[in-house]
Amino acid sequence: MIVALLILILSTALFFFYFQVTCQKILGRQFDREYFQSIANANRLEFPSLRKSLEDFGAPVDYSRLRMMLRCDFLALTYLLKNAANVNQRYTYDERLLILYFRWQFLSLALRRLLRLGENTAVLRLTAVLQYFANVVGQRVNAVKFGNLTAADYLLNL
Amino acid sequence: MNSIIVSDALQYGGILIEGCLLVYMACSAQRRRLAGVGLYLFSMFAAGQVRAHIIRGYGLRSPEYTYVYWTTDFVLVIASFLLVCYLFRRAFEQQEKMWRFARLLLGLVFVLAIGVSSLSFLGNYSLLSPKYVVEFNQNLYFTCLVLNTMLYLTLQHLESTDEQLGLLVCGVGIQFAGPAATMALCHLTTGESFARTLVSFTVPVCTLGMLVVWAYAIVRVRESTIKVTGRIGEPALLEVTAD
Repeated sequence: MIVALLILILSTALFFFYFQVTCQKILGRQFDREYFQSIANANRLEFPSLRKSLEDFGAPVDYSRLRMMLRCDFLALTYLLKNAANVNQRYTYDERLLILYFRWQFLSLALRRLLRLGENTAVLRLTAVLQYFANVVGQRVNAVKFGNLTAADYLLNL
Repeated sequence: MNSIIVSDALQYGGILIEGCLLVYMACSAQRRRLAGVGLYLFSMFAAGQVRAHIIRGYGLRSPEYTYVYWTTDFVLVIASFLLVCYLFRRAFEQQEKMWRFARLLLGLVFVLAIGVSSLSFLGNYSLLSPKYVVEFNQNLYFTCLVLNTMLYLTLQHLESTDEQLGLLVCGVGIQFAGPAATMALCHLTTGESFARTLVSFTVPVCTLGMLVVWAYAIVRVRESTIKVTGRIGEPALLEVTAD
């Protein structure tokens, strides 16, 4: 009984550990340049400023607004991932995994808030996922030429 | 009924990715480098096909299916152990001393898994009984999870730059940890229906998760070329040429 309980606890912890590490490894992918800023500007996404405020001052904005900002940015970016310069019009497997990771971290944000554990770590992880998505969208848009349109112009016309 | 459909859909999705990955690896220049991964994928694919064939021929509740299920499970557990050995070999391919130690450790662990499984059944059951095989499979499966975690920690300690190997190890971790946890839960709840339902979902979900991570590692992440100079025990100079 005790052995089974130990295996249960250890295996569950290891499962979440491996899931987290895998997503962090995918997020650690290097892009040839930083595309996310132009995508964020074109779509008025708020995660770069949120991340900067957290890194500089360590204090997030009001919690309900924070959730709303992250959720809106997530919806906008997942839409762009699927539709902007994507011939197949569907997510890749790693994108699906990261979407799952985002949702898990979003849940963890709520739990951390409830248990008063501090939300900064979860918020930084969430913004890292959003930054990765924005970089992927930027790279795709950049790879395709749309006449004289810039990446930002293309996205505004989408 | 819906849960059966979802579970089947997950399994078919897994088989599809296994097949695609096998074909991709066979056609790519990495096939020698990823031989261990290919062997494991092939054993999973073959086990799935044999089980499906027996279900069609004899039915899900037949004794034939039970025997084939546990036999293929035994083959898969051995393949898992060989996969972990392959990952260790790849991690220490530049460090012969470390590999010699790891080889000894892996051999000892395998003998220990056989010993522990035998001890719990000697006196009560025959060594050829299916219950012995089940006990051995569970012990070796959990051992593989522990060994894989040891390998992951070693890679962190060595500051390995082989991105592909890191992702392969993480994929294996997901595949081993999820089912091990649900099996333990099933054991604790003495096979309650919710635990069995959870097992029927977790196993294909974790396999799918591993295959997705492996697909990413094999297709997207090109292996870094590492040249290591210096001997074991001396600070090594790493020269990395990443794609």
